[in-house]
Amino acid sequence: MPTTYDAIVVGAGHNGLTCAAYLAKAGRKVLVLERRASIGGATASEEIYPGFTFSSCSYVVSLLRPQIIRDLELSKHGLEIMPLDWTFSPFEDGSSLLRGPDPEMNRRNIARFSRRDAERYPLFGQAMSELGRMMKPIIESPAPEPSKLTPSTLLELLRLGRRFKGMGEEWLSANLKMMTMSAVDFLSEWFESERLIGPMSVSGIIGTFLGIRSPGTAYVLLHHYMGEIDGSFRAWGFQKGGTGAVAMAIARAARAHGVEIKTDAPVDKVLMTNGQARGVVLVNGDEYHAKAVVSGADPHRTFLGLVGEERLEPEFAKQIKRFKMRGSSGKVNLALDSLPVFPGLDGASHHAMRADITIAPNIDFLERAYDDAKYGRFSREPFMDCVIPSLSDPSVAPPGKHVMSIFVQYAPYNLKEGAADWENQREAFGDAVIDTLARFSPGIKDRILHRHVLTPWDLEQTYGLTEGNIFHGELSLEQLAFMRPAAGWARYRTPVDKLWLCGSGAHPGGGIMAAPGQLCARTMLQARAV
Amino acid sequence: MSRAIVIGAGHNGLVVGALLARAGRAVTIVEQRGEVGGLCAPRALHPGYTVPGVLHDTTGVRRAVTDALGLSRFGLSFESEPPSVLAAHSEHRGVVLHAEAKRSRDELERLRAGDGDGYLAWRGFLARIRGFAAGVLSRKPPLMKPDSLAELLSLARTAIGLRRLGKPDMLELMRVAPMCAADWLQESFRDPLPAAALAAPAAIGACLGPWSAGTAANLLLYECVRGPEVKGGPAALVRALHEAFQAARGEILLESRVTQIRLERGAVAGVELEGGRFLEAPLVVASCDPKSALLGLLEPGSLPLDVEEQVVSLRARGTTAKLELALDGRIEFRGREGERHARAVVADHLDDIERAFDAAKYRQCSQRPHLEVSVPSVDDPSLAPTGKDVVSILAHAAPHDIEGGWSAAARERFAGAVVDALERVAPGTRAKIVARELLTPADLEQRYGLSGGHIHHGEHALDQLLFMRPTQKLARYATPIAGLYLGGSGSHPGGGVTCQPGALAAAAILES
Amino acid sequence: MPIRSPFHDRVAPFCTSYAWKQWAGYYAVSHFGESHLPEYWAFREASAITDITPLFKYVVQGRDAARLLSRMAVRGFAKLPIGSVAYTCWCDANGKVIDDGTVSRLGEDRFFLTAAEPTLSWLTRLGRGLEVELADVSETISALSLQGPTSREVLRQCSDANVDRLGFFQTASAKLDGVEVQISRTGYSGDLGYELWCDARDSLRVWDALMAAGRSYGIEPAGIEALDMARIEAGFIMLGVDYYSAPRVTIAARRSSPYEIGLERCVKLDRGAFMGQEALRAEAARGPEWKLVGIEADWAELEQLYESYDLPPALAPAASRASVPLYSDRKFVGQVTSTVWSPLLKRYIALASVKAPFAALGTKLELEHTALYERRTVSARVVERPFFDPERKRMP
Repeated sequence: MPTTYDAIVVGAGHNGLTCAAYLAKAGRKVLVLERRASIGGATASEEIYPGFTFSSCSYVVSLLRPQIIRDLELSKHGLEIMPLDWTFSPFEDGSSLLRGPDPEMNRRNIARFSRRDAERYPLFGQAMSELGRMMKPIIESPAPEPSKLTPSTLLELLRLGRRFKGMGEEWLSANLKMMTMSAVDFLSEWFESERLIGPMSVSGIIGTFLGIRSPGTAYVLLHHYMGEIDGSFRAWGFQKGGTGAVAMAIARAARAHGVEIKTDAPVDKVLMTNGQARGVVLVNGDEYHAKAVVSGADPHRTFLGLVGEERLEPEFAKQIKRFKMRGSSGKVNLALDSLPVFPGLDGASHHAMRADITIAPNIDFLERAYDDAKYGRFSREPFMDCVIPSLSDPSVAPPGKHVMSIFVQYAPYNLKEGAADWENQREAFGDAVIDTLARFSPGIKDRILHRHVLTPWDLEQTYGLTEGNIFHGELSLEQLAFMRPAAGWARYRTPVDKLWLCGSGAHPGGGIMAAPGQLCARTMLQARAV
Repeated sequence: MSRAIVIGAGHNGLVVGALLARAGRAVTIVEQRGEVGGLCAPRALHPGYTVPGVLHDTTGVRRAVTDALGLSRFGLSFESEPPSVLAAHSEHRGVVLHAEAKRSRDELERLRAGDGDGYLAWRGFLARIRGFAAGVLSRKPPLMKPDSLAELLSLARTAIGLRRLGKPDMLELMRVAPMCAADWLQESFRDPLPAAALAAPAAIGACLGPWSAGTAANLLLYECVRGPEVKGGPAALVRALHEAFQAARGEILLESRVTQIRLERGAVAGVELEGGRFLEAPLVVASCDPKSALLGLLEPGSLPLDVEEQVVSLRARGTTAKLELALDGRIEFRGREGERHARAVVADHLDDIERAFDAAKYRQCSQRPHLEVSVPSVDDPSLAPTGKDVVSILAHAAPHDIEGGWSAAARERFAGAVVDALERVAPGTRAKIVARELLTPADLEQRYGLSGGHIHHGEHALDQLLFMRPTQKLARYATPIAGLYLGGSGSHPGGGVTCQPGALAAAAILES
Repeated sequence: MPIRSPFHDRVAPFCTSYAWKQWAGYYAVSHFGESHLPEYWAFREASAITDITPLFKYVVQGRDAARLLSRMAVRGFAKLPIGSVAYTCWCDANGKVIDDGTVSRLGEDRFFLTAAEPTLSWLTRLGRGLEVELADVSETISALSLQGPTSREVLRQCSDANVDRLGFFQTASAKLDGVEVQISRTGYSGDLGYELWCDARDSLRVWDALMAAGRSYGIEPAGIEALDMARIEAGFIMLGVDYYSAPRVTIAARRSSPYEIGLERCVKLDRGAFMGQEALRAEAARGPEWKLVGIEADWAELEQLYESYDLPPALAPAASRASVPLYSDRKFVGQVTSTVWSPLLKRYIALASVKAPFAALGTKLELEHTALYERRTVSARVVERPFFDPERKRMP
């Protein structure tokens, strides 16, 4: 007779663990099952090369909700986020732009390219935080469902409406413009210099299958502006010991609340009786029973894999199949013999190196990178977002040596030759990344001790991210809010009774935010589902 | 009754003028060119050959507007059904897409199993939402924050209309509207050709490719108002509008360019014409594009700064060029010898359309443009000598701000590329060309006064449609300047030959 | 990290206190020596010299230059005579103040604008379609302020300027040690004084000439703290202290109209369109909600308060920029924003924003004051502003 739990969570990623921790904190008996030998999912730190610890997938912590940090007492469990508040953008002519928390320095640095832009820059930041403040309640609550006009949804809409009421038509239109414009068009209404627009626009495309000129990317810009560390808006940071330590901290908190976590426990199917989930069966045949099953896996894997298309309503299965998952990015992790150099750096170099290094020199560069992806090729000259976490956290590399984590876009999952051809193109992709980087950081090639290339194919094969999509589903307009992952099923509940969804494929989406996990747990508890 | 002045005698200008005149106003339309009709005016291409207009598609003309003007009394009539379109292909005989999906089903199924049914389902969805969408497009755009009971009711009517679609269609519409046309169409079609042919119109007048979000909305916009064509095409429409206007005792001043809209105490006082003549009027309707009207014809500083900046930011980057051909014979499409096709789309694959847009991004002309082809002489043989055709092509992409400018060589190169593209789907056409004229966006700007050479008076993009068209503060036809209205394609519901912006502008004026 | 002004090499050796602060991205001196009081007295008794290069400076020229500035500011400039300077502020479309500064007319179509915040983008936006050329000369033109009763003599000694003909709020070009400078009879101290503008490359020569000539007139470099005391005595407001730039704050309550910050005399409503005109017209008719006033604390009560702790009345020697609430009948009615004990006037004075009904001269209010840990109040009253206004400031 297998043990019965209140809830079983499939997948020990940050969302699954958060959901489990919240449920356990409320006194529920929870089991987390992880397919891999280690916990963390895509929030993993791995020693892939001796002495060097890579945050192999996600690499910066931006959106982790402070409330979760407080509720789960994560700092007690080892969470230690160091701010990453500088952005450094080198250009091919040797010039560069460094932006950071010093407004006067920003103004001077931007003024080298445009005085007007320098003047507008703080006002833009202010406008973004205003919009972000407005969006906060949307992120913090489950998505309203406009098609069901029940009193409770009306109340919610009313609450949101009241928030918008004070804002005036201009604010609404600014918001609508954010939702519908491209990052470049939106930024061009503020700024004139490509040296500023280029590096700024990329936060609109990170993790998406969109270009900086694609409508809808202005909204993602805002999404990334909403990161919150210690109450300061739009800040990014590193977790000491790599992002895997974030998952470790949540796992410790979960265990402290009594959550049981089993690794090497791949779930094969959700057990169902009369259309109700009642547990799971592992690949090895072990069964676990529970009052509710929560999936931290992406919607495709959850519904088409764990449940199976044959057990779904055809209409819902169609919606899930149509939910777009196309991965668009890869990772290159480097073990470096010494610190890379960027020419044109002045006295501020120590900031620059600790910064987020953005290779996004101009609009056409980024757009050409996207063009490649549209036609099923990886970018010959990709956009890159690099960080050197070993500068702030010596524990991840041997003394004097460094790790560099490079987020690369675009690397479309669906190559023209098919996704499996990534096996043949992986190293060519790695070469393209290093060749491009070398144009901005001469000599980088000689510093490389080890190169670890992760393509979207690898993200799928290793981490179970369908099509290598880091956000469990594209962040396009029709896949957000009450449409995420399917219209009518955006509130963590699924058409399978007692099966819940708590991963990034649920509202409010991806990033190391942990909000879907938290909101899912809250919804389950409110519904007395466990 | 005081005078009203309408700037521009294009189809929307004529509609505003005629509606105001019929309501008893003394209306003067001021037109800089020597003829009425604007982009719809017929053009003599070559002795014996006439092209109906720069805009050749009249499937969007709103029946309610032509009825309100009683245009049938002035000889206007419609064909009995929406035209079919040949999705031409460079290697095979393509497929004919009928508005009535059943008629295309078998041909599509032969192309690729499943696509015929996909087309049925796709058209079925469009047919179900058509009433709702057409309703939205024929009313003034809703206010985001209703400020009166009437506005609230109007918004409620839209919401109820949406609910009436039923939950599946409503959610589907909400899902589809912000999508990209390519993703949406590929859900229904596995063969690239029908998806490309259906997506192509969404790219016309939008500086976007089918992989850009919001192009599905353009497609909806286009498909949901599509009906039978006007008999005789745009020229016939303009003729009828002109006559209706004259019958209502309206006055037209041709070859009269407005140099300034003059204000007194913040309100319209009249317009000043080139040469110094001043026409006094407390009401001016600009049916030219919003950028020309508000940035070009007003003293700097007349508009509130936020409104002015919205207009400056308005995107109107023309990417559509017009090529017109006089043929010494008939055009014959590949595998369809002897058949007559009045409309064709030339794009084998969605990627072809996307690539054309890519070129425009980098200020280049597409080397492999995609085309929307009209052969008006099929329906109206009088446009060309017996047994011969005149061909009117809207070609993509030819950016207004092409790198290096529109030199003679650049024009020749692009015209050649268009002819090559046509030759691929209609072999032998090149040899039949007796005359040819290319209108680049730069030409369109210079001849017709279109900002950016944009045929829709501003791009169709999600943030420039409905209550955001042309900008949030100008979406209700009125401007912050008392007596100054907008009434052209730059206003809701947008470009193409629909006559709806003009009609809604007139309604807004008469209401106030 | 802040950068150095062109005067840095001359200023730094005087700064024995190492009390640097940041002003618009530049290093600026808070106080040079141990105490700022000698610098304060230089303002009132001799000549104080202050590096004001961090101000933002623009040259606006072209056929529509006057038109652009008149569209931006709350007054018009068409009739401003050449060689005159005007103090003004400018507003957003809602009539809320963005910044204040001076406009000098250097020629028929040539103006010089100073501002506390960068203003190029705003000028550009308002100048769309106008025939005007904008130059940001913030870094290429450096500036010194020379203030105090002996300042005229200093200039007479070292320049060829006809200082006796340079009236209050007038400007003229002159030579100083062979270097071209623009001299305006303006300043932020409320005393006789001048501001000098020169090519940044000539900075050190100008400084040296002034210091050499000033030796026999008690010239002394003065820092921001001393200047702050002087400007409060003069009743001058400061951006970011007594009011906030409208686009840089997020809530309406922190935005002010010119009527609310004591600049009503600057506003000329009945002229061509300008930014905020409609809103200001409405506010003028309705009356502002808040007003800027001068406040003086009741000295006897202050003394008593300190006495109650067995303390002498030890007020801070420096100006305070901390906001402190004002009450009437124990109800909150406003706040003082800049406070100083005036060593010259022997009065404890402050600039304050109060609700309009409490703005009349003589109105009695209660000012929060902490002598020892505990928050108490002392009586205060609304008094005339400026607190200090010597005749020499305006004398011909």
